[in-house]
Amino acid sequence: MDNVKNEIRTKAPAPGGVVPFTFPHFDHFQLPSGLEVYLASIDRGPLVSLHLACPAGAWHDSPAKAGRATLVAELLDEGTEDYSAMEIAARVDRLGGFLFSQADWNTSWLSISLLSQHLAAGLELLAHIVDKATFPAGEIERLRQQRLANLQTRASQPSALATDAVAGALYPGTAYGQSPLGTSDSVQALDRNSLLSFYQQHLNPQGSSLILTGDLDLVAAKAAIENAFGGWVGGEPRAAAPIQGRDREETRVIVVDRAEAAQTTLRIAHPSVPRTHSDFGSLQVLNSLLGGKFTSRINLILREELGITYGASSSFSSRLGPGPFQVAADVETAGVGIGTEKILAELHRLQDESVGEEELQDTKTYLLGVFPYSLQRIDGLASRLADLGVASLPDDYFDRQLEIVRNLEPTAIQSLARKHLRPTRMTIVAVGPADKLEPQLEGFGPISVVAPQEVLEAGNVPT
Amino acid sequence: MSTVSSARFPIERHTLANGLQVVLQPDTSLPLVAINLWYHVGSKNEVPGKTGLAHLFEHMLFQGSQHVGKNDHFRLVQQVGGVANGSTWFDRTNYYETLPAHCLSLGLWLESDRMGFFLPALDSEKLENQREVVMNERRQRVDNQPYGRAFERLNETLFPASHPYHWPVIGYMDDIAAAEQEDVEAFFRTFYTPDNAVLTLAGHFDPDEALRLVETYFGPIPRGLARPEVDATLPDEMLGQVVTLDDDIQLPRVYMAFRLPTFGEPEWYSADLLSAALTGGKTSPLYRQLVYERQIAQDVSAFVLPTELAASFVVVATGRPDTDLAELEEIVHGAIETVASGKLRSADLARARNKLVTSFSDQLQALDDRADLLSLFTTYFDEPQRITSEIERYLGQSAEDLASVARDRLTPEKAVTIRVIPR
Repeated sequence: MDNVKNEIRTKAPAPGGVVPFTFPHFDHFQLPSGLEVYLASIDRGPLVSLHLACPAGAWHDSPAKAGRATLVAELLDEGTEDYSAMEIAARVDRLGGFLFSQADWNTSWLSISLLSQHLAAGLELLAHIVDKATFPAGEIERLRQQRLANLQTRASQPSALATDAVAGALYPGTAYGQSPLGTSDSVQALDRNSLLSFYQQHLNPQGSSLILTGDLDLVAAKAAIENAFGGWVGGEPRAAAPIQGRDREETRVIVVDRAEAAQTTLRIAHPSVPRTHSDFGSLQVLNSLLGGKFTSRINLILREELGITYGASSSFSSRLGPGPFQVAADVETAGVGIGTEKILAELHRLQDESVGEEELQDTKTYLLGVFPYSLQRIDGLASRLADLGVASLPDDYFDRQLEIVRNLEPTAIQSLARKHLRPTRMTIVAVGPADKLEPQLEGFGPISVVAPQEVLEAGNVPT
Repeated sequence: MSTVSSARFPIERHTLANGLQVVLQPDTSLPLVAINLWYHVGSKNEVPGKTGLAHLFEHMLFQGSQHVGKNDHFRLVQQVGGVANGSTWFDRTNYYETLPAHCLSLGLWLESDRMGFFLPALDSEKLENQREVVMNERRQRVDNQPYGRAFERLNETLFPASHPYHWPVIGYMDDIAAAEQEDVEAFFRTFYTPDNAVLTLAGHFDPDEALRLVETYFGPIPRGLARPEVDATLPDEMLGQVVTLDDDIQLPRVYMAFRLPTFGEPEWYSADLLSAALTGGKTSPLYRQLVYERQIAQDVSAFVLPTELAASFVVVATGRPDTDLAELEEIVHGAIETVASGKLRSADLARARNKLVTSFSDQLQALDDRADLLSLFTTYFDEPQRITSEIERYLGQSAEDLASVARDRLTPEKAVTIRVIPR
């Protein structure tokens, strides 16, 4: 092999000229009703993606009425003043569309994706459903029974048990203290009046956003929006009750005992900041380095060095209230002690040591480079625009955010870690066989052992 | 009804002297390039006792090669803002990365280094590490999941022990634990050769320049030797079985499967369209009867697997806490019988077709999905253009075609049934 060939093989090739990227142009305006509209025409084929995001998330539920927002969202397309549940579905069928109505922590979503030739019909259907839902008693009962059965299945889903245990431990007595799906008791207790009043108070144009992306003629789309949504009016948005996470004085351990579990589902968490916190963007850089990508510190140690997991990750949640910071890994049971120790050590290390220039630079170029990747699909762009609407962020937010990432210094990461990570005051949740977990975890803090069924009932997680 | 036009997706095809097939699909809408490499090898190429080797091998291919260090594949991709992964299936293994367009060479260098120079970097420590990782993957996805072993059991029942679809893609725990370095080496030598691969690029590049780079990096890799034939003889005697499993679950669930001709045969498309007609959406006959009207099921779905030795038509229905699974099964058989006797409602066929047309456009949006489909149609059918024409094979299916596949393939005596009940 001659030298030139050799060089081609032995050295990673240098990058070519950068192809510039700019965030796709979008229009943002408000209808007289207060509805915020985001519109972007991008060419990804003959499709449009329509989303209506209303400030009616599970964080608007009181603990006693947990599950209300998600049930209301599911019921939206189960009957309107003009159509039955089946008639709505048949209309969607004829359009070849896919309709979703569901709620997450922040938002109720009513979405449809379809061929762009059906844009006007899709908009009319969304507007009709959100404005004229009737919540028929029979449909409420049907979905209630389905929900109750669904809640029962959480008893054998290790990730659901872990999520519910973290929620109960970090956020007792608040909307974040149980699943957005509610508990058996709270779902049993929801009556039609309560669902209707949530619908009337929270699903209104003010505070809501309508997002359209894809194969759009902007002039025609604006006319179709005004035509479909012009008649939708309503009152002021209602704020959610303030949520305060429970901060601890020391680390504690909750073991959810599944004696026969083939593996242990591990979560290490504490309450953190809302999506709208000014550090939220910078924290994504810290998180990416810590546990947000394959080559992050935690994944490389637990997976590629120790081989005790298929993958370990960390996250700051993008809730409008103070959601959790959390490390998550499904770990072979014999490795839970060492895994926990290594994870906590990495949290300490971010506070104690400055991040190397090269590691930080790699993380920044990763985050900047993958940004356009999230815009390959029209619903990817829609979810970026929805983020602006849901969290009331300025239109130039993403440009500014990318600039913040570019300029972040190693010392800033260390300050962020000191300000936002609390490695000596964590809640460790391990779902697995208690007899094998207790000896491994007792050194980290006081241990409580609970049964899966207890975790599913709000208020039964030790706090 | 609008369908996808092929003019929208210009495609170039080339074959290198060493047999590597190359598909180029330029698209400048984003400053990205998707690189997608299919090797025509999967769990079907394993033998009993060494199951899971294809998938374990996929993991090993991320452990570095002669000029790439252990964690460097992901590190080099992620540090330029790229994403990478791979996946293993019964019939194929794919490797892919989506990179900023100016890093195309990097991706080609990485993929060609592991195609041409993998063995010098293989060692027992890496193998030991990834065996542990894969055993944890199996625990996470299969053994520690409710209903986790049901699908495995379904294929064990539908295909005899000698057939390559009998065992799960991820393999059995004991086999994964026993995999040796010689197994990995032999697998590489046999199957990881340019003449057993399709390389697709979709995105922002100049096709002439891209082809030149592909030739530079992959051209020198030698072609492989003959690969062993897979024995896919399929006797009929196993059909009609009912197996009951107990599991740590709350709701009973039934899995029903029927054998079908291979992916690509006309009957396969009839069956796939039929699965969408039976369960795709609230108005579909099975959802309506089971979930909406009688409320004896929590959910119901049906799908057809795109597999090349034989395919299967699968229906999965989860009961409510007190549901008798036999009643669910009877209604499923009844709904298929309705189709067989020519009584499928025209609205159900129309819905399935309308939604397919939307889904076809949808799955061509993203560069990485599109590149994967181009590799798929090239690997199985030597015809990348099917990314735009495949929809016609569905739209060409008539109600009588659906009735005919229901009559010939989906009768109760040909079903294999797995009932999973709470322990």
